[in-house]
Amino acid sequence: MKRLRHYFRLYFLIEAQYIKSKMQYRDDFFISSIGMFFSSLTTIAVFWVLLASIPDLAGWSFNQLVFIYAFYMLAISPFQILFDHFWQLRFHVIEGTFIKYYFRPLNMLFYYLSEMFDIKGVVQLVLGIAMFIYASIKLQVSWNLPLLLLLAATLFSASLVTISIMMIAASSAFWIFNSWPVLDLARRLREFSPYPMTIFDGFFKILFTYIIPIGFVAFYPSQFFLGSQSISTAVYLSPLIGIGTFALAYWIWLKGVNSYTGTGS
Amino acid sequence: MSLIEIQNLSKYFKVLNRREGLRGAFLDLFSGDYRTVKAVDDISFSIDEGEIVGYIGPNGAGKSTTIKMMTGILQPTSGKIEVNQLEPYSNRIANARRMGVVFGQRTQLWWDLPVIESFKILKEIYEVDNETFKQQMGLFEDLIEIKKLYPVQVRTLSLGQRMLCDIAAAFLHNPKVVFLDEPTIGLDVSVKAKIRDVIRELNHTQNITIILTTHDLGDIEALCQRIIIIDKGKILFDGPVQRVNQLFGVYRTLKAQIFDFNQETLPRLNALIQTKFPDPDAVHINQSEDFWTDLIINQEKAPLREVLNLIMSEFALEDIRIVEISMENVVQRIYDGALL
Ligand SMILES: Nc1ncnc2c1ncn2[C@@H]1O[C@H](COP(=O)(O)OP(=O)(O)OP(=O)(O)O)[C@@H](O)[C@H]1O
Ligand SMILES: [Mg+2]
Repeated sequence: MKRLRHYFRLYFLIEAQYIKSKMQYRDDFFISSIGMFFSSLTTIAVFWVLLASIPDLAGWSFNQLVFIYAFYMLAISPFQILFDHFWQLRFHVIEGTFIKYYFRPLNMLFYYLSEMFDIKGVVQLVLGIAMFIYASIKLQVSWNLPLLLLLAATLFSASLVTISIMMIAASSAFWIFNSWPVLDLARRLREFSPYPMTIFDGFFKILFTYIIPIGFVAFYPSQFFLGSQSISTAVYLSPLIGIGTFALAYWIWLKGVNSYTGTGS
Repeated sequence: MSLIEIQNLSKYFKVLNRREGLRGAFLDLFSGDYRTVKAVDDISFSIDEGEIVGYIGPNGAGKSTTIKMMTGILQPTSGKIEVNQLEPYSNRIANARRMGVVFGQRTQLWWDLPVIESFKILKEIYEVDNETFKQQMGLFEDLIEIKKLYPVQVRTLSLGQRMLCDIAAAFLHNPKVVFLDEPTIGLDVSVKAKIRDVIRELNHTQNITIILTTHDLGDIEALCQRIIIIDKGKILFDGPVQRVNQLFGVYRTLKAQIFDFNQETLPRLNALIQTKFPDPDAVHINQSEDFWTDLIINQEKAPLREVLNLIMSEFALEDIRIVEISMENVVQRIYDGALL
């Protein structure tokens, strides 16, 4: 418990400084924030137009699809905000700068991630919340305490699924010299997650449900709130699946960290 | 009780033998053709609390690899290593709490933040109390004038300034041992002098054990009572610096650019030296970089002035330089039996 508090304090101390240093370049900060806002908005707009032009995607209404997309945006924002440094892991590993993360009396994953905080993710989170509220009003989801708790649990788990997939992909840098294709593939696969898994045929459905479980990033957990009649058994696993995948991802990360030998100089 | 205890320690790296060309790169994907590099090969030593030990050797000798094992990054292939009675690799965090590290030119400060903020974060990481923090910072302010760097963003520091800050940071939490891998590389004399001052002072007043690798023999002379020389993963010498000092001290390298250098020049030069100084340890001749000929001179057996006069009587010299003996040459001398 004391350790946990120590880590929290440290995280806030580092991030506060980090944001402060960004704010120093005020114009830059505002302009890039506005840029991020519009770039996120564009992504949503494209999706929006796409959905609106298809009246009925495999039996899912427009508002249901917006709900799933909003769930997706909420679920990926912890990764985007807190785990942004994973994109750089391969450079640190190749150039040998990764060794410095061994020198502090800290959990290495924590220390590594604390060095980066992505404000862009915060903008997306805000947009995601707005969309989520919009969709649940349109769909007349009647939120009550059990449902809100379920939402928290499913979102937590869904975030862990995204984090785990990206973490495993990023950790491949410990074994593969050019690991960018792996990371890129994971990112592309993740982009399938706001689509209803029911539109995929046998192979991809099995792939996205059991092998690379991106179905659990948005589609399956959303089922609880959309009041659909046929809830598949996989859906009931969704509050738990995140913890399992994260345990696996952390194990792989540790394997990588422990086998890393650095560079010759 | 010794602070660091190393027994029969080895670290081997398995390196893929890469083939040439595109076809080779493709074949490498399936290749099991590995070669073993014995970076550290069966070394043993122990270091007591409060010592400053110079860990030296030529490029690729295994110095950094040893330090990576002592700091818990690398798991030894075999042998025993204990720092503060702990095995560093399996007790990384506990070990890290009581050590400081500076690795060459790679900063461990927070790149985007002002210097002082890095120190505040370190204070929090190591849970340094206010009293100690103030005292340590005061010391750094006195020794290396760190105060004027407080508001400067780390990324904008000069190499020398950053090195000073990194070294101060390694000592902030009052560690038991500090590992410095080439702390003075690429720095000018005045910064080097400051770095030596801090190291000496902190070792002296706080009894912090220091292990330092360097290619600058000046660092060794200024700081170390004891040196360990390693080459090709094996320890060549471990003892008081005075014994090796003779080697550094007595030898000089005379670099000469000989006018109209051709293939007969070296044999002629060799013959000339032979006649006057027949002892093989007196003068060693090496062809170094383009146009330069190195004469490694043992001043006890061949006074520099006499060697110079001798050469000038027979050869026209365009340019000369006299430098201290290099690490490689010290190691060569040791192989030749200079310490026996
Ligand atoms: N991660 C690694 N993978 C493979 N070989 C390595 C690795 N690290 C070091 N080596 C090899 O091990 C040997 C010792 O390297 P090390 O870095 O310990 O030398 P060093 O004494 O620090 O040299 P320098 O003075 O150049 O820094 C070298 O031959 C090097 O190529
Ligand atoms: Mg080295």
